[in-house]
Amino acid sequence: MLKMVGVETFYGKIKALHGVSLGVEKGQLVCILGANGAGKTTILKTICGITEPEYGTIHFNDEQIDHKDPEEIIKMGISHVPENRRIFPELTVNENLLMGGFLIKDKDLFAERFEKVTAHFPVLSKRSSQQAGTLSGGEQQMLAIARALMLEPQLLLLDEPSLGLSPKLVQEIFTIIQDLHQAGVTILLVEQNVNQALKIADYGYVLTSGKIFLSGTYDELYEEEKVREMYLGEGKYVRRARLWRS
Amino acid sequence: MNDVLTGLLQESVSGIALGCIYALIAFGFTLIYRATEVVNFAQGELMMVGAYVNFFFVTQFSGVLGGVNFWVYLFAFAGSIIFAILFGILLDYIINRPLKDEPVFSVIMATISLAIILRSLTAIIAGPISLVPASPFGDNTFNIGSVVISILDISIIIWTIVLMAIFYFFFNKTRWGIAMKATSTDPEAAQLMGIPIKQVYRFVWIFAALVGVIGGVLLAPRMALLDTNISYLGLKAFPAAILGGFGSIPGAVVGGIILGIIETISMGTLSFHFEWVKEINDIIVWIVLIVVLMIRPNGLFGIAKVKRV
Repeated sequence: MLKMVGVETFYGKIKALHGVSLGVEKGQLVCILGANGAGKTTILKTICGITEPEYGTIHFNDEQIDHKDPEEIIKMGISHVPENRRIFPELTVNENLLMGGFLIKDKDLFAERFEKVTAHFPVLSKRSSQQAGTLSGGEQQMLAIARALMLEPQLLLLDEPSLGLSPKLVQEIFTIIQDLHQAGVTILLVEQNVNQALKIADYGYVLTSGKIFLSGTYDELYEEEKVREMYLGEGKYVRRARLWRS
Repeated sequence: MNDVLTGLLQESVSGIALGCIYALIAFGFTLIYRATEVVNFAQGELMMVGAYVNFFFVTQFSGVLGGVNFWVYLFAFAGSIIFAILFGILLDYIINRPLKDEPVFSVIMATISLAIILRSLTAIIAGPISLVPASPFGDNTFNIGSVVISILDISIIIWTIVLMAIFYFFFNKTRWGIAMKATSTDPEAAQLMGIPIKQVYRFVWIFAALVGVIGGVLLAPRMALLDTNISYLGLKAFPAAILGGFGSIPGAVVGGIILGIIETISMGTLSFHFEWVKEINDIIVWIVLIVVLMIRPNGLFGIAKVKRV
């Protein structure tokens, strides 16, 4: 469904992606792992056209989408829930959802989607006329996801949805992601919460300083000592055990 | 005592009218600033251009229709509005788009040069002689008690209220208006919603040109002579915007009106009764501004803005 080949993205003169190739199949939940500054967010931004790749190609449903305007890419069925939620704090919850469905011109269709999305997130309908900036972190994240779902995207890009949330809310957000996945939405997820992300993902890519370093299913990645050391929090055991042995 | 009160009331009405003009210009500043963080120093010049274009249309149409009547003013006004829309689109193309990825400072410099160019160009095209603007309301006045009120002033106030009501409705009730608000708070997130932000910015420039030109059309008849110096009123709208809290739309309007009233009263009653006020007439606006900023550093309606990194 989505295919990136050899994508290089620059911020000014700084190279953020050093030839990234990855693919997402229809119905999959794919996860990108990596340390801060590895370029995870840049991958998502490049896909949805906020930043343009200097080299390489991106295809979505066999159509080339690099160098297209974000509006066009979003119209084609890719929605992006950005890092830090980025809801519009001065607008009300309903107005945020209205913006999420900005591209829907048909009023009946809009009403239908609105109904569906608010039914999915009952918290939001309770707060419908409240300014979005006054919501709690978890509610804001739900609003951000709900806003992206207004367009019923074929591919949903999620950037660090659990960032800054309490463990209980993280759990809730992951349940929502899993529900969406089971409902058939294709998801490309960027997460620092590696353990949990990998557990629900069908496939994972590990990114280090702008390059894909490893990829595979949870089991395959778990086999790799380096992944366990660096991302799954088992580093100290692996390394120490080896130290003692020698 | 009664005389003083009458004078104050009369000056207040006239001050509100002048303040409405300031408010319109400050509103233009605020629109562009909120959307693009650019301070458009050519806002006063947009107003001046509006006054001239309207004058041009009035002369042209009265030639065609044989004499100045109501229809001439109406057509001229419609012509000025169309001109404003086209002019806004042009400004978007020559200022906003080419400098999209440049630092905000470059764009501000571009608006300063635009201001100078517009002033010189207008002087070249219109000639060096000051023109005598006409008004559909002439010098007509009416009385409430002993307070004499000019119909022109009332027309300015009504027009401003109508315009602000239209903008209020647009920004709060329509899909595009809310999209414009969303874009000014977070352009990148707005892009992710599929909001075409290039078109939003074009709308912003069109609106700025519209309020500028309408301000000019309304203001011109208040001036005895029309010359390019009326663009300097734009510089006074600047403290108005700061007084209200830079970036706040209600702030711009209220700040403008307060400033208009202060200025008119200080030039009238206060100067008449206190000799020394005459000396500080030109700077009284700035004194008020400094005092307000000492008490409320973010202006009357301003909220402390934390910039997202």
